[in-house]
Order: sequence, then C-alpha cells, then structure tokens
Amino acid sequence: MVWGAWICLLSPLVAACAITLGGTRQSRRAAGYLATTSCFVAFVGAVASFIGLLGRQGGDRQIISTAWTWITGGSYQSGLQILIDPLSVFMMLVVSGVGALIVWYSIGYMDGDDEERRYFAYMALFVFSMLLLVQAGNLLLLLAGWGMVGLSSYLLIGYWHERPSAIAAAKKAFVMNAIGDATMALAFFLLIQKGNSLEFGILGGQFSSTVANLVALGLLGGAVAKSAQIPLHTWLPDAMEGPTPVSALIHAATMVTAGVYLIVRTHAIFEQAPRIADLAAGLGALTLLVAGLIALVQVDIKRVIAYSTMSQIGYMFVGAGVGSYPNAMFHLMTHAFFKALLFMAAGIVIHALLNEQDIRKMGGLRQFAPKTYWAFLFGSLALVGIFPFAGFFSKDSILAAAMAHGGWYGYLLWAAGLIGTLLTGLYTFRLFFIVWWGEPSAFVREHFHALRRDVVGVSMASTVGVLAVLSLIGGWIQFSPWWHPVETWLQTVAEPIVSPESWQEWLSIALSLLLGLSGIAVAWSIYGAKRLAVPRIAWAQRTLEHKFWFDEAYDALFYEPAVFLANLLRRGVEEPIITDSGRDLGDDTRDLGGLVARAQTGLVRTYVLAIASSVAVLAVVFVIVK
Amino acid sequence: MTTLLICLPLAAALIVWVLPMNPVSAGSLALLAALAEVGIWIQLLVRYDFAQGGLQFSDQHTWFSDLNVSYHVGVYGFSVWLVGLTVVVMAAAIAYGFWAGRERLRAYMGLMLFLNGAIVGVFVAQDLLLFYAFFEAILIPLYVLVGVWGGPGRMGATLKFILYTMAGSLLMLASIVVYGLSQHTFDLTQIGESSSQWIFLGFVAAFAIKAPLFPLHGWLPDAYRESSPEVAAVLSGVVSKAAAYGFLRIAVAKFPQPAHDFRAPILALAAIGLIYGSLLAFRAPDLRGVIAYSSLAQMGLITMGVFTVNDLGLDGSVLQMVNHGLVSATLFLLAGMVERRTLTGELGRLGGMARGRPALATVLLTTGVIALAVPLSSAFAGEFLILAGVFQRGWGWAVAGAVAIVLAAMYVLRLVSAVLHRDVGPAVSDSALDLRPAELGVTVPLLACLLALSVWPAAITQHSFRGDHGAADVAAQFK
Repeated sequence: MVWGAWICLLSPLVAACAITLGGTRQSRRAAGYLATTSCFVAFVGAVASFIGLLGRQGGDRQIISTAWTWITGGSYQSGLQILIDPLSVFMMLVVSGVGALIVWYSIGYMDGDDEERRYFAYMALFVFSMLLLVQAGNLLLLLAGWGMVGLSSYLLIGYWHERPSAIAAAKKAFVMNAIGDATMALAFFLLIQKGNSLEFGILGGQFSSTVANLVALGLLGGAVAKSAQIPLHTWLPDAMEGPTPVSALIHAATMVTAGVYLIVRTHAIFEQAPRIADLAAGLGALTLLVAGLIALVQVDIKRVIAYSTMSQIGYMFVGAGVGSYPNAMFHLMTHAFFKALLFMAAGIVIHALLNEQDIRKMGGLRQFAPKTYWAFLFGSLALVGIFPFAGFFSKDSILAAAMAHGGWYGYLLWAAGLIGTLLTGLYTFRLFFIVWWGEPSAFVREHFHALRRDVVGVSMASTVGVLAVLSLIGGWIQFSPWWHPVETWLQTVAEPIVSPESWQEWLSIALSLLLGLSGIAVAWSIYGAKRLAVPRIAWAQRTLEHKFWFDEAYDALFYEPAVFLANLLRRGVEEPIITDSGRDLGDDTRDLGGLVARAQTGLVRTYVLAIASSVAVLAVVFVIVK
Repeated sequence: MTTLLICLPLAAALIVWVLPMNPVSAGSLALLAALAEVGIWIQLLVRYDFAQGGLQFSDQHTWFSDLNVSYHVGVYGFSVWLVGLTVVVMAAAIAYGFWAGRERLRAYMGLMLFLNGAIVGVFVAQDLLLFYAFFEAILIPLYVLVGVWGGPGRMGATLKFILYTMAGSLLMLASIVVYGLSQHTFDLTQIGESSSQWIFLGFVAAFAIKAPLFPLHGWLPDAYRESSPEVAAVLSGVVSKAAAYGFLRIAVAKFPQPAHDFRAPILALAAIGLIYGSLLAFRAPDLRGVIAYSSLAQMGLITMGVFTVNDLGLDGSVLQMVNHGLVSATLFLLAGMVERRTLTGELGRLGGMARGRPALATVLLTTGVIALAVPLSSAFAGEFLILAGVFQRGWGWAVAGAVAIVLAAMYVLRLVSAVLHRDVGPAVSDSALDLRPAELGVTVPLLACLLALSVWPAAITQHSFRGDHGAADVAAQFK
C-alpha cells in the first residue's frame, strides 16, 4: 500500500523527466503514450492504496511514509514524507483518474502540434505536482506541491508562447498564486515560531485566538488564490488561453479545487478560528454569485465554463467554510467529472471548428455532432444539479449544510447558494442552446469537420464517453438523506461539524431543483424557443462585461503603483544618486591622477602599490589617533 | 589538503603565466586544474567528519610570532559548502572562458586560476591577516579581468569597483589591526569576542560593500554589465559570498554584542535592499541588469538570514549562499550565451528564442524557476528558512520578505518571457543556434547541483553547523 502511494506519486515525475531528456529522439506520439501510461500507473497505485486502506480499521487508516529529512533548521525539521489516509487517497483517486483520462484525450487534441512533447512533459509534471500536493505528509511539502502546481499551470497556460495574451495570462496566474503562496508561508512562519513544527498534527494544538485567526487567514489567502475566489480570482478566466485539456484538468477538475482540499485538510485550525471559516464561506458565496452573473454575458465557450468553475468552487468553499467537509469533497469529485466532461466536449467543438471559441459564430451543432451533443447535455444537467445527474447529489447537501450552520449568516449563505442555482441554470443553458440548437450558422457549415475514427478521434471520443457515464452515475455513491459512504469514509480525517436535519435536506433539494429548472426554462425561452428577448440594461451589461472592473482596479491599485515606484526609484534614486555618484567620483579621481586611470593596464604592481600606500596612510592615522 | 586547495590553482596560474604555451594548452591546463580542484573538494567533503564538526583539515605555520600571526587554514562544516561552491563555479567559468576563446588566453586563464585560489583562501583562512590578504587578493585579478576583458564601458566600471572596494578594504584593515593588536593575536580560532562597535562597523562596512548591501551597491550594475559573463558569474556567484561569509564568521561570531545592538538597522538595510533590488530588477532594461539587481536583492536576503542569529536563519543563509551562487552564475553564463547570439542584452530586442531552441529554453526556464524560488526548489528551502528565522525577530521583516517573493516571480518571469517567448525579437536571427554541447557542458552541471540540492536541501542545512550546539550559539560553533 505504501509502495502503491509512492508509485502513484513518482510515476508521472519519471515520465516528465524521461520526455524532457528524451527530446527529439522519441516520436511525439510516444511522448503522449508515455505520459498517459504514467498517469494510468499512478491511478493503479492510488487504487492499491485505497484497497490497502479499506483493509484497515478506521483508526488505523493513517500511514506516514518518510523518504528522508528534506530540510532542517536547528531543531526544526520537515521530512520528504507522504501521508496515506482516507482524504489523501480520495484525492489521489480523483486526480490520477481524471488526470489519466484527460492526458489520454490530449493525444487526440494536441495531435499535430509541433511541440507536443513539451506539452506532455508539462502535463506529467502537473500530475506529479498535484499528487504531491494531496499526498504531502506535512504542511511544508504541501506548500511545495502547491507551488509546483502553480508552476505547471504557468507553463501550460503559456504553452502557446508566441501569443502575447497567453504569456500575459500565464504570468498573471503565477503572480496571483505567488501572493497566495506568500500568505501561506507567513502562516507557516507563525506556526514554526509557536510550535517549531509543520506537521499536520500541530494544527490541532492549542493556540491563542489571534494566532489561530492569523494562521487560518494565511491559509485562506493561499486557498483563495489557488481556487480563484474573490478577491484573487481574476487569473482564472484568462487562464483559458491554454489548450483545452489543460483547462479541463488544471483549471476545472483538479488544481483550482486544491483550495477546498486545503481547508478540509487543515480544518482543525479553521475550527479554532470560526470567523475565518465564516469568511471562507462568505467569499465562496460571493464568488458563486459574481461568477454566475459574469458568465451570463460571456461569448467565449471556454470562458463561460471557466466562470461556472469559479462559481462551483464557490459552493465548495461554502461547504468547507460551514464545516460540511465531506460534502465539499464530494462536490469536488462530481465537479471534476462533469466539468472535465464539459471542457472536453467543448474541446471537441473547438477542434471541429478549427480552434474557434466564439459562441456567436456557433449554433445548430446538434446535427453535426450528435454524440457530443448528448455528452454536453449530460454535463450541463449535472452542472445545474438536475436529478439524476452527479451535481444533484452533491450540491444540494452543501445548501442544506449552510442552512444547518444556523443564524442569519447560515440563511444568507443558503439564499446565495439558491440564487446561484438559478444563475447556473441560466448561463449553462444559454451556452447550451446557443451552441447546439437552432439553425447551423454559415460559419459552422463552412468549417465543421467531424472526428475520424483514428487514434485522434478515439482518444477524444472515448474519454468524453467515460466522463459522461461518470457524470450520470458518479453522484449516486452518496445521497445525503439516505446513504453517505463518502462521509463515512472521510470520518476519521474530517468529521463534519454541521449535521442538517432531514427537512433541511429535502427543502434544499426541492428549492434548488425548482430554481435550476426555472433557470433552464428561462434560458430555453430566450435562446431555445426565442420567445423572449434578452433584457437589455445598459449599465448592468457594461458592469458584467467588464467583470465588475476587478482587473482595472487591480491594475490601478497594485500593478501601476509598483511600476511607478520602480521607475521612480530607478530615475530618482538609483541613477542620479547611487550609480552616478560613483561615476562622478571616478571622473574626479581620474582627473586628479593618472594612477587609477591606468588601472586597466593590468599591472599588478599598481595595485600592490595602491594597497601598500593605503596601509601606510592608515598606519599614520592610527599613530596620530593614539 | 586545505593548503593544496589554495596552492594548486596558484601554482597552475604560475605555470600558465611563465611557460610559453599556446592558448589551447594553457586553457586545457587551467581547466584541468579547476577540475582537479573539484576532485580535491569532493575528497574533502567525503572525509570531513560532519558528526564531529568544528575546524578540520587545519594547517598552521607561524608567520610573525611576535604578533601571533600565522598561516592558519582549515574548514568548518559550512565552509566546506562555500569552498564547494567556489570550485564548481570557477570550473564552469574557466571552461566557458576557454570555450568562448578570450583574447590573450594565457593571461586570462592565469588570472582566473589566481582568483580561484584566492577565493578558496578567504573561505579557509583562520587568521585575520591571512583572511585580509586573500580578501584583497581576490580584487587584483578582478580589476584586471573587468578592466581589460570587459565591455565598452569597462573603464568606468573598473574605476568604480576599485574605489568602492578600496574604501571597504581600508576600513576592514583598520579594524583588523586594532582588533588584533588589542587581543594580542590574529588567529580567528583564538581571538576573543569584542564589544567594540567601531571595529564591528569597520568590518560590516567592508562586507556590506563587497556583498553589496543597499545603498553601497553603486559599483554593482556597471561591474556586472561590463565584465565578461563568466567573470560576472564569479563576481555575483562567489565573490559576493565572501562578504556573506565575513558577516557570519567575523561580524556575527566575534562581535555578538554589537551584532545584537545593530541588528535592527542592518536588517532594515538588508530588507530595503531586498525590495529595492527586486523592484529595479523588475524594470531593468537588459538581461544583466535584471540578474544584477536580483543579486542585490538576494544578498539582502542572505544578510538578513545571517543577522537573525538563530538556527533557522543561519542554516537558511548558508543554504541560500550556495543556491544563489549557483543560480546567479548559471544565469550570467546563460545571459552571455544569449548575448553571443544576439549581440545585445536589451530585453526589448530579444524574444521568441524558445521556438527551435529547446535546450536553451529548458535550461533557462529551469534556472529561472529555481531563481524565483518555486516551492520544492532548493532556493525555496533556503528562502523559507531565512524568512522563518527572520519572522522570529519581528514579523514585519518577514512580510517584507514575502513581498519580495512575489516581486521575484514578477522579474524572473519577465526575464524568461522576454528572451524565450512572444514574437521573435529584432536581434534574434534564425541562424542563432540552440545551446552547443560545450555550453550545455558548462551550464548543466551547475543546474544538476541545484536540482540535487532541491531533492535534499538538508544535505547543507544538516551539515553546516555542529550538531550538539544550536547554530544560534555561534561562538560555540567556532571553538
């Protein structure tokens, strides 16, 4: 079992190194197969760990395996260690499973790109990093995985490096995430100061409320940045510059949900800092509304899905924030299925339309790609949370948990979540009807080319098929009112601190189904049946199209001042005072005597003479002083 | 063995200068000597008893007995790593200089070897006057290397460098003389602690100029820009570490009281340098400018680590000295390789070099991400420890460090993108080749060291200071 976990962690790393070192000696296709195989091997390793844990009793389901001491500082030390417990195995299964499918899909999607090998090396590196993040046996290593996924995300967003927009998006993602890394690091410094350790166990220790709040806040900063929650969310939509499978894997299924994993993993400290946990839930609720609103006006197929990702992670934050950890993790899993499915299906569309992503040029695709149509429909229904698709099972229990959190705050979160359901129905089916229904546009007729039944077509179609099935049945493993194996499985690691009453469960289910269906109905009457016109409110439209002006505000508040300050320092301090004063001094000296000016002749004796004379001067000075 | 490490390159330098060799054999001999140094160092590393710690492989011969001056050399745990950094970076620099075919190669190689011996001397000298002699001896070849083999602005650069370093040296010499005479010995292992603030400040000023620390870095941009890339690599990678070593071995270890009293202002200068250097690196218009100012920032960080005088900070700063030495040497060499192909270092005229040049892209990108201390890299380990140590001296310092982490991401990514990404720049012609095997042979070993350290940073942090004393008890470390 321990070996399974190590194999799971290391096989993608081995593949990444092999592809990098192999270079052009291997064919592009071979690189793709190597990466895919390594991810499937990782999945097998994860399954082995899972089976191993199943054979143990609840309390024994926690194994730490240390390879060696990674870093020490006096008596502080952190090992290169992995943790195998129900939570990490849960994440390992999701990450390696979905990861393997998406890398496999990439063989088709990236076919013909002339730097395919680099792509697959990066993908394998990402899967390794993500597994490191979820398997890390202490906080420092978790931060290492945290940074490494940020790095691979940077590399993959900027994969098409001739595009200035891709490079700018990649840098933006990295820097935003670096802010989160920095706040996490500060929290860790505080932990080291208080407890001289970064083991997970230290989080359960007794801290003063200030310390607990600060540590939780630092961790939340990291979680918010990684999971693209307000206020550090602006990088995610731009990250859609990367290839579509990247968006599916990193910016939907796995990496962006890491913030949720972090909160669940470190819930002990959040329970000591309930205000910060409330803040997390509040940010989640705010994000799910804002992202849902912005998604209503987007015209890029991937950006609509990206905003829906932000919004769904908002739900997970609500769940984790109110202490309903198993439901947050469950939604993380079902979201990985259906969101990956949506991205992959969208990827088939984009591929078939020769990289066109503007939905205004699409329409009537149903008759051209009927199977993809059904897959996309499955994904959309799961996203809105319609019975019996996956999202239905996981989203509603989060709402119930928010209600059970109690107080006006709990009801506020609950209401936000319900409104979010309406928005989800609206924007998801707006996209759906625009792309798939209606008469095929001239653009579609001209450019559409179907998938062939070769390696390319098969790799893409089969993955979408598997994910469609998972989106349909994946949610059935837990239905909160009646059966909850996910909760039981995670019990020893993350016991929920709220337990909704059964009426809260059913009320949430009924209302969210109703609102989701009304959202779909409104979308249908506007975009499907075209009976209603799109309401036009100029200021609202503008606000949404500018995404609530976050980008503009950050530019004005942070980037521009930093550039201004840097330029000011360069022109005002560095050049006139520090660098040039030396030059003037130098010029003066050169005028004064030929000795220094002839320095470049390289005569060693000049220097000896200079040093000796200075020593002499000094000696005289000392004699006088005495 | 320690003496051999000093004398081998000096002897090789003498041979290269004296014997009438053709450039190829002079270069080969120099490279051979540099590699032999690496071999000897590996022997030293294997045979040094880290469990016991303390001064080992020492060698002492009386020089002036009435002043208690002696030729006394030896290595401590942490100096093993700094010597290792020196011999590895010098070997890479000599190999690159040889491959790039510098003019008057005999003289050039002789100077590089001399420099090699002198830097090793600084890290192993256990007598203050000997330390001073080596510290000065570093400067002589550097003046010439910058002044003769440098770029168009080498005159001004050399002049500034001389003026700054001379000023520092004089202050240090004065401090050494007063300190040694008052303690009746110049032997670093014997000399007692002092609480004199003036002597302390003399040392600090000298090291602060050499490191450099803000605002004493006036010589830095020009010297790093105008010298040939391998000399810049040595300057920022190794020579600056001599200053950090001095902070640790002398300023902190011998002047505990003044180091405590002056902690706040020194930390402040270092923190300002860290932010200031990062901001300037972010706006610097050329490759070397970015690396030079990032070097200023990193030296600020390392200095912060040393002056925390706690376990975390000290362990972290030794690790970071090695990391930064390797990173900035690799970056300067890579900058030289790019400039060789494009004849410019201006970021605005570069770009798009990743397409068709996978080796260059891979090496530059990997070095870059280590430079910005991506978690899991050894640079991350070093910075993390330093900042964790600094945090214990006041959270504000660590916040400044955290801001610098974000700024580092900004300037390194800007550098990487400007060279590799976007449209092909006007200075980049299609005929500009990917890295040649020789260039890979120079950079890849440096990168391999960094990757090895990333896998096991504890190799250094666990084996720098004697185990039974906390590193914070600095005085006990050196008994």
